[in-house]
Amino acid sequence: MDNSETRLVKIFENVFPDLPADRIANASQDSVQNWDSVAAITLMNLIEEEFGIQMDFDDLGELTSFQKILAYVDGKVAQTA
Amino acid sequence: MKLAEALSIVRKAPVNGTPLKVVLACGFTPLHLQNFFAAHLQQAHADRKVEISVGLFEDIPGTLKLLGNDGFQTGALVIEWSDLDSRLGYRHLGGWGQRVVPSILENVKARLKHFDALLREIPSSASLALSLPTLPLPPGFHTAGWQVSEAELALHELVVSFARNLAPHPSVSIVNEARLDTDSPVSSRYDFRADLHTGFPYSLPHAEVLGRALAGLLSPRKPKKGLITDLDDTLWAGLIGEVGHEQISWDLASHTQFHGLYQQMLGALADQGVLLAIASKNTAEIAHKGLTRSDLMISGDKIFPVEIHWEPKSGSVGRILKAWNIGADSVVFVDDSPMELAEVQAAHPDVECLLFPKSDYQAGFVFLQKLRDLFGRPRLSEEDSYRLQSIRQGQQFQDAAQGGDSTEQLLAAAEAQVTFEFNPPASDKRVVELVNKTNQFNLNGLRFTDGEWHEKTNDPNTITVAISYQDKFGPLGKIAVVRGMKHEKTLRIDAWVMSCRAFSRRIEHQTLLQLFERYGAETITFEFTSTPKNKPIADFLRDLLGEEPVNGAVLTRERFNEKLPKLYHQLVEKNG
Repeated sequence: MDNSETRLVKIFENVFPDLPADRIANASQDSVQNWDSVAAITLMNLIEEEFGIQMDFDDLGELTSFQKILAYVDGKVAQTA
Repeated sequence: MKLAEALSIVRKAPVNGTPLKVVLACGFTPLHLQNFFAAHLQQAHADRKVEISVGLFEDIPGTLKLLGNDGFQTGALVIEWSDLDSRLGYRHLGGWGQRVVPSILENVKARLKHFDALLREIPSSASLALSLPTLPLPPGFHTAGWQVSEAELALHELVVSFARNLAPHPSVSIVNEARLDTDSPVSSRYDFRADLHTGFPYSLPHAEVLGRALAGLLSPRKPKKGLITDLDDTLWAGLIGEVGHEQISWDLASHTQFHGLYQQMLGALADQGVLLAIASKNTAEIAHKGLTRSDLMISGDKIFPVEIHWEPKSGSVGRILKAWNIGADSVVFVDDSPMELAEVQAAHPDVECLLFPKSDYQAGFVFLQKLRDLFGRPRLSEEDSYRLQSIRQGQQFQDAAQGGDSTEQLLAAAEAQVTFEFNPPASDKRVVELVNKTNQFNLNGLRFTDGEWHEKTNDPNTITVAISYQDKFGPLGKIAVVRGMKHEKTLRIDAWVMSCRAFSRRIEHQTLLQLFERYGAETITFEFTSTPKNKPIADFLRDLLGEEPVNGAVLTRERFNEKLPKLYHQLVEKNG
């Protein structure tokens, strides 16, 4: 796993403590019962805190899985680098 | 604390810990305020499992009504301007400007009145932390931003008046806005984006600070009880042995005002019951001349004991601790010499040693704030004003004993009066305070929130007794609490504490005697647990029982009668 993926996994562990570690990489709103609007905002705030980026609320609707979020974060980090 | 850390703390709460059920009432989505609040509470109650209930969205009254019911004995109310009138926030379009100001003022007034009524219904056994509006008012006023409008002043006046009226409420503690301003700059508090998108108006740093402040009010740390101070270049500027008592100073003209402020601070602390002592390396005769100067900002009779000689200060501190009979962790030692601080710290690692910042103005300013924080207590009780008097009283006891009086003569001549107050009211916060801060004569070291304590004492089978003492040397105030359950001819004691100030007066014997007699008990069972600090009660029970005390140790009336020494107290009974 690369660095951003490791960091994102830790964020997911924090927000979804009941989600087994081996399921995080494939996690999505459909597969994780507790992934509601509060969890989505918490994910967003933790990502902003961890990666030092600002996310757009309008993008939240598209960020429905771990992999999509990872790609989004990598893109944002690359923009700000 | 970062959000990730807060979530981690909450996540790692002990699964089987006794729940600490807490209400959080606010008119917006509590989101991360809830997370930070929970995390700080969890840190303060590591063995518990903090459970926060936020009630229904925008229903502050409904949420507040949970407090005092269903195990919710602790709560926080967070008010923002938009809770007082939605036009004072950004999520509702109800109009701004001079035209709506009268209506807003009326609304805010009515809303605060409603809150006031709700808060007065909170049972005295509950604890509530209150935060007044922390966010700036919106720009809907006719003046430019750098000029305050009459309407803004009127709004602030209403809120301050509301808080002022609530401040004496025994169950309500209010977040200090001035401290919040320092810890969370006003300009960084509001998160416009989050408010409009999610309804959560706070920036994460502000949510963290506010969550910490609220949790701090609900889990206050134990205030320090005593301060030991150096003299030269600390209580006053100058070395009195070199310059003489007339040349030491603490005033503006001499540029030594900070020492005067320190004296003034000590005077204020003494007035709130903090014990003060001196540990100074000096020639006693010379130093006393400084202490008796009439312009000193603290009266000499507020300071006891006074250790002035050339022996190591660690020895002085040891003797002072013994005279005060309090734990080293309740004491602060202040000196301008890092070497003296190190010497004392090495001998008394639990004493908090503070360097007196004699030549650093900014550090001096911070130092005064720190003293306030270390010694601050939520409320002053009658007992606080007795503390020094009772220490001196103990000394008089010892002096009399050293003068040849036997213990029996001393006790017989003491004119002691013990007051037993059965089932004291929940509004008497001293009872739980005493249980939570007493270490030495403490049956098991258990600590309780107000709510937890009263949840059990409200049970009709529970007996709670608060005990006060006074004698010819003066009052000690409320010095002991015992709680138990009666079952047929047995009393089971689950909490028993007595202040160390009241040792050696046989109050503990009198307490058991009254319990045996009043409740017709044949046995008393003690839920004893050994703690690192409760040797005094362990010794007492061992002597009574004739064996090592254990949880469930049983004392029979017969055995007690055999061990009962002669008692000289006059008894007074009160029913709460």
